Amino acid sequence: MKTRRPASVNQVTELPKRYLAILAVASLCVSCDQWDRGVDIPFLATWNGEPLACDSAAPALTDLRFYVSDPQLIDSEGRIHDVGFATEMHWQNDAVALIDLENGKAACINGTPEVFDHVVGVARAGEYRGLRFTVGVPFSLNHANPLTAAAPLNDAAMHWHWRSGYKFLRAGIATENDGFWIHVGSTGCEGTVGHVTGCRFPNRIQIELPEFTPGKSTVAIDLAALMAGINLEDGVSEDCSSGPAESSCTAVFGALGINHATGEQEGTQSVFSVQ
Amino acid sequence: MRKLLLVLGLLGVIGLAAWLITRESAYHWDLPPDLPAPVVPDDNPMSAAKVELGRWLFYDKRLSGNETMSCASCHIQALAFTDGKARSIGSTGEMHPRSSMSLVNVAYASRLTWANPLLDRLEDQALTPLLGDNPVEMGLGGSADRFAELLRSEEHYSRLVRKAFSSDADPHSLLNGVRAISAFVRTITSYDSAYDRYMAGDTSAMNAAAERGMELFFSERLECFHCHGGFNFTDSTTHANANVDRFGYHNTGLFNVDGNGAYPSDNTGLFDMTGERRDMGRFKAPSLRNVAVTAPYMHDGSVATLEEAIDNYARGGRLLSDGPNAGDGRLSPFKSEFVSGFELSAEERADLIAFLKSLTDDTLLADERFADPFLD
Repeated sequence: MKTRRPASVNQVTELPKRYLAILAVASLCVSCDQWDRGVDIPFLATWNGEPLACDSAAPALTDLRFYVSDPQLIDSEGRIHDVGFATEMHWQNDAVALIDLENGKAACINGTPEVFDHVVGVARAGEYRGLRFTVGVPFSLNHANPLTAAAPLNDAAMHWHWRSGYKFLRAGIATENDGFWIHVGSTGCEGTVGHVTGCRFPNRIQIELPEFTPGKSTVAIDLAALMAGINLEDGVSEDCSSGPAESSCTAVFGALGINHATGEQEGTQSVFSVQ
Repeated sequence: MRKLLLVLGLLGVIGLAAWLITRESAYHWDLPPDLPAPVVPDDNPMSAAKVELGRWLFYDKRLSGNETMSCASCHIQALAFTDGKARSIGSTGEMHPRSSMSLVNVAYASRLTWANPLLDRLEDQALTPLLGDNPVEMGLGGSADRFAELLRSEEHYSRLVRKAFSSDADPHSLLNGVRAISAFVRTITSYDSAYDRYMAGDTSAMNAAAERGMELFFSERLECFHCHGGFNFTDSTTHANANVDRFGYHNTGLFNVDGNGAYPSDNTGLFDMTGERRDMGRFKAPSLRNVAVTAPYMHDGSVATLEEAIDNYARGGRLLSDGPNAGDGRLSPFKSEFVSGFELSAEERADLIAFLKSLTDDTLLADERFADPFLD
């Protein structure tokens, strides 16, 4: 399914009929603690606030794909409400959604034509003013066999077979003579593939956006903010694949609100914002 | 009476079917009597059909994204299933940070690859060269569905797939392809080197120099066997009757880039997996079987000859006097206690190399069971 469309129009009316039917059933059940409104969370790649695409000029997007889990809405009283994924969308299951903002064209040479630029969810009716989610795959799903996993966890490009587990986020840009790419995922995992007992560096990215209004806001991922600590003019194309020895990871992890030395959340992320 | 005959007849048919099925599943390893069978995962039992399918797939270039490369491109039989390069080059020209490892007796490896304690099954390991993009090796990642399509569309493959995975509803899958390749690779076993024949009682199989070299190899003076011990000449060995999980990683003093024991940042070994400082530069001791044909040596192919490798160990670590990775590995704080250095005369070094050459299994290097079936 192609899903490119303006983010600002009324999202709910554009949802597929099958999904509307489920919503209709759910809405009969308002009083019995059930889901009763659609929630659409659109995502957009930017560079210093301007849209960034595979065919953008200097820099061009080369990759931007990530897994979203545990989405939650914050109501006007500051209370947290879980958002369920609509599993009719083939880029979502009941635990994770795959956001894929590249279309395989131009500089996105390792990409795929399909674009998944929003999370479709359901939540209880209410006035919401904030959004929280995790960029990452929950530990309970992260180390299962990707060859037999259900979509969207069956994507070979999003799996790190040698580290065991998924690439939670892959992002990259290219300029004329420089560039940078990053793969973020859990490292320092213990046990053996199929029997992973834990990971020393979880590297899951916690995002909280207090200004998010469902139906109006878009989540922008600014790669200029992500790569603020990287020299993109020295002609040396760098990368970070989350390894502990990779000095290029430190600043980028910092921008994502992760301490590279511990793999834990620390400080405020500067990459995800509301637009 | 007719009823009884019918029942007996039916029982006979069932018995025959059961016999045929067990005959199919009981794979015959054809190993010497004193060599234990390798470990086989419960969900991928061996069968002749599976091994045959795996052999074809191992040599099939259609398993790479641009159809230029097969598993055999980096695992060449005549080189004991290594590729003779310092670092391997992927299907799109990307250079791998590591050197291709031998597949000989890999069925007995308790852990796979140079420094990955997570990997103990070929079925899991094979996904990295097939699908990985960091670096691109075979580069099938973007076109993984093509693998299943190849198995389905080519009659020769489909017949073997249906035979090897007869209980699967749709056996044409990447998973089953990988299982078949793994089953084939498990059959690449070596036990016919001069050393093996010598140990089996043929004292003429090794000459006097090799015998003296063997003494040196197993001496406390040289300490080679601490890491390269056991029937597979590596401490990361297991088999079907092994009850304990044994594997080891060792820093051999190959680098000391910053004076604090650092290895080049693209090749830090176990440290890259665990993030623990003590794991800097620790790599698995590879099996020394067929080592005379697997040059260049070490995880990054940075040692050209066996002579050079022995000299580094004799020195107690390698000295790199210039270049970006200059440093004295002997002084590394992470170096293994077994790499403490030793004095070795020129004759002794020649003897040690004669012994290492006795580990070459010429039968295996030319065995038709492991050869490229597309050339037949």
